Amino acid sequence: MTRTEAEVILKKVFKLESFYDTQWAVIEKIFKGDRILLIEKTGYGKSLCFQFPATQFEDTTIIFSPLIALMRDQVNKLKQLGINASCINSNQTLNENNRIISDAKENKIKILYIAPERMENSEWLETASQIKISMLVVDEAHCISMWGHDFRPSYRRIVNLAGLLPTTFPILATTATATPKVEEDIKVQIGKNMSSIRGNLLRSNFHLNVIKVKSEDEKFIWLGRNINRFDGNGLIYTGTRSNAEIYASWLEFAGIPSVAYHGDLDGITRKNIEKGLIENRWKCIVSTNALGMGIDKPDIRFIFHTQMPESPIHYYQEIGRAGRDGIKTYIILFYNPDEDTDLPLAFINGSKPSLDKYDKIINLIKQKIMGETDLILASNLTSTQTRVILADLIDQKIINETFIRGKAKFEYKFLAPKLNTKLFEELRETKLKELEKMIQYVDIDTCRMKFLCDYLGDNYTENCGKCDVDTNKIIKKVIVQDEWLKKLEQFRFNNFPVLNFKSNESNLINGVAASFYGFSKVGSTIHKCKYENGGDFPDELIQLVLNAYRKHYGDLKLDLILYVPPTESGDLVKNFAIKICELLNIKISHALIKCIKTQPQKIFQNHLSKMRNVCDSFLYLNVADIKDKSILLIDDIYDSGATIKEIGRYLTLLGAKLIAPLVIAKTVGGNIK
Amino acid sequence: MIMSEIPYWIGLTQLKGWNIEKINKLIISVLHENKLSLEEFFNLSITEWSEKFLLQGNDIVALLNLKIEIPNFSFLTEELLLQGFEIITINSEDYSATLKSNLKLKHSPPVLYVKGNKKILNEKSIAIVGSRNASEVSLKFTDNIAKMASEQFKVVVSGFAKGVDRQALDSAIKYIGHSVIVLPQGVLTFASGIRQYYNEIVRGDLLVLSTFFPKAPWSVQLAMARNPIIYGLADEIYVAQSDEKGGTWAGVTDGLRKDRTIYVRYPERGELNANLKLIQKGAKAVDFDGNLIEEPLKDVAPADKDEEIKTRVYDLLKDKELSSVEIIKRTNIEWSARKMTDFLKSLNDIKTIKGKPIKFRYKFSEEPQLFVSEPQEIYEK
Repeated sequence: MTRTEAEVILKKVFKLESFYDTQWAVIEKIFKGDRILLIEKTGYGKSLCFQFPATQFEDTTIIFSPLIALMRDQVNKLKQLGINASCINSNQTLNENNRIISDAKENKIKILYIAPERMENSEWLETASQIKISMLVVDEAHCISMWGHDFRPSYRRIVNLAGLLPTTFPILATTATATPKVEEDIKVQIGKNMSSIRGNLLRSNFHLNVIKVKSEDEKFIWLGRNINRFDGNGLIYTGTRSNAEIYASWLEFAGIPSVAYHGDLDGITRKNIEKGLIENRWKCIVSTNALGMGIDKPDIRFIFHTQMPESPIHYYQEIGRAGRDGIKTYIILFYNPDEDTDLPLAFINGSKPSLDKYDKIINLIKQKIMGETDLILASNLTSTQTRVILADLIDQKIINETFIRGKAKFEYKFLAPKLNTKLFEELRETKLKELEKMIQYVDIDTCRMKFLCDYLGDNYTENCGKCDVDTNKIIKKVIVQDEWLKKLEQFRFNNFPVLNFKSNESNLINGVAASFYGFSKVGSTIHKCKYENGGDFPDELIQLVLNAYRKHYGDLKLDLILYVPPTESGDLVKNFAIKICELLNIKISHALIKCIKTQPQKIFQNHLSKMRNVCDSFLYLNVADIKDKSILLIDDIYDSGATIKEIGRYLTLLGAKLIAPLVIAKTVGGNIK
Repeated sequence: MIMSEIPYWIGLTQLKGWNIEKINKLIISVLHENKLSLEEFFNLSITEWSEKFLLQGNDIVALLNLKIEIPNFSFLTEELLLQGFEIITINSEDYSATLKSNLKLKHSPPVLYVKGNKKILNEKSIAIVGSRNASEVSLKFTDNIAKMASEQFKVVVSGFAKGVDRQALDSAIKYIGHSVIVLPQGVLTFASGIRQYYNEIVRGDLLVLSTFFPKAPWSVQLAMARNPIIYGLADEIYVAQSDEKGGTWAGVTDGLRKDRTIYVRYPERGELNANLKLIQKGAKAVDFDGNLIEEPLKDVAPADKDEEIKTRVYDLLKDKELSSVEIIKRTNIEWSARKMTDFLKSLNDIKTIKGKPIKFRYKFSEEPQLFVSEPQEIYEK
């Protein structure tokens, strides 16, 4: 097919006039049966490079993509053009997925999007060996590379698969973010003479800025004061989930419509916020990097980072979602030289668990075939640690996966090699170098855009002329006015994190904490009292808790106060609860006790073990007290919520109408993001 | 082995109507005579197929259809490799030399699917086979042979069926020897079975092997089809116990026809199985400890067996009524109750006494019960 002929079909099917030169170059190669890696900025039109050939091939094209929201949009667009497209992912029901699988088997689907996690699914694998396939597309291909910023173990299987497909079987890999090292790695892994085509990474409508600050307060104040001066809507990225909530609350407090988004929210809430983003419901969404993959909003007018990312490539990827419409877009990175490298360093140094943890898992599997959950419980490692270790062990061919009665388990391999720790060291060194580069970005006196593009292997870019360096408009200092300091102070005494407990399994309602554990002096005060003989919780804390109570529960009528019986810290919580009872004038009962001696929750590293630890361990001595009553349940710290959940379940069984949790501090738990 | 060749190998084994010989011949033609990889072969034109490889219409169509399906076999291969299986093709140096020389090109399966220590495939080997309903004696014999194998550093090959097969495996493990189990199904359908022997596989003592399509579930046909493979993998074959029909009988008689040396356990007195028949057909006899017996058939007249049983049964039934089960218990004759019942019913001088259970009695003692213990002479009229 010549380009001219192709463009006739392009007009007819896709309603587009012509191809970009790069697009056609890629498509030509695909028709030849080659393997090609396309590195092009977001918004370029990479999708057409596979969608067009897919419509011309006889059989099905399979696209592996981790972006579930995006694949839905793509499928809808294709359907509107009359092209038979579908997607399979974990957000759809089993029935839906199965129906699509059987359609695919009957060759009814031209383009099929699949999340890579599907490769873990035995039904899908059953199908895959029966669908007639013409082409494979790997989206976000940088996820293949361990040297990349977003390595995903589920991509490993895609690479293995690519290695087993015929040489003449066309494979297209696409990404917007790959350093030269990652590019090489992808080409080597997918193999068979894969070539690559790079586009220009310059985002000409971006105005890049860096604002150096002396404290976190300055970030809050600058944002509160200035965010309304920016047109349109945008995103603010934070380093932690709790910061996402704190910044969002602060902005709301300062009169700016905002909402927090992060991985701790449930699926429905997240979907709702994603919808709200498209509808411009808020001025900004404050999020961890959980939000980002797959937003299809062309007019995100600004992206501000309150926390420095781990590398320039992480940064480029995260800001890349803004301004796809080509209109002026503002990008700001806030940087506190004293504190802001702590988090990325912690990530880099903690990205691999310590070696003794690897040995633990290896030794467990050597004895017996085990599944992931068994391993988490037996090893007392967190689920993240366990998953990272398992992925590495599979990578190094020390263990392999097996399926017993449909469940995934792990086996030790005969003649398995010793763990290669050199690789981990190399990885760590590389990541540290990348962080150094990110810090360099902050201090450069040359064009910031050029710096980023150079880093990503794009050597064609000239100075952008728009960043704060090029325009000589670097903000060197944040001015802090008294009125804003006062506002911040007020906020601190009015910001109360909600505890999500509502469920169908008990009569618990959403509770409230007076503060995040690490925010202001709350955490250190609690620690002093609990572990350093500091005495009972002081009045300031009590006052804070009462403020939280009033704000969250308002006029809710409560009949009885119960408190979580302690494991270690003596009568602290009891005395605290007594004070609350006096101040709120609600009856208190001391009849909730622990009936099994449990270990302190904090020694259990993961949620499963914590749940197990508290299960069935509480007893209420005067059952008649509880029936039909609304109960205020008090504790000092909310960590995983397992204890309160268990008490809630138990009290519900005894007939409690409602259980309202009230705690002093909410911790962020094991995961930081 | 270049990994991307594997899907082609597996695909070839799935061609309908192509027997092993045909597949192997094509493989030799492609790899050795024309020095092409399978992938290169599949990328040739139809003209080249018919001219260079003398392929005809139907075959060409079949190969064209297979070519389109290769990506699907790629998915399957990825699954196999992920789950820790290895694929050994007939041209690989890991392929069992014994299997190749015993089964020859005509019957050697092109692809072996294994998990575990594959070096076991090229160690000296002993197969121990026998029926599922094996007697104690047979099982003890199996244990002896497995012990001997371990002492001689020979691999025990068996089929993982109940009875002798399992005993062979468990004994091999007990004596810390090496073993191969030849599955009657595809490797991907056998996960929970492998689980039992996990530690042995990890240690390198046990190799799991299948020659069937990885997703094939157990079936009687496959159970039968794997017997020649067991024999093929073995340098020596020991038979603990065989009936006159069934898998073991078929395997041994087939092996004898192919001039294999097969050692059959010489049966004890009163044992009712087909071991002796096999020895008469040409198998070598060994004793309980596996030692060769020089002239096994010297004292045995074929017809004697049934007479011997008759005599022993009559002895019992002369002065008592007994059920089949009771008779078997007292005489240690290794028959099923049903077989004994049928046998007794067929005898004219045995009377069947109705009841639950049915009992039998030697007819010529038709005197009332009172005289049950009369001396024997009375009945010799």
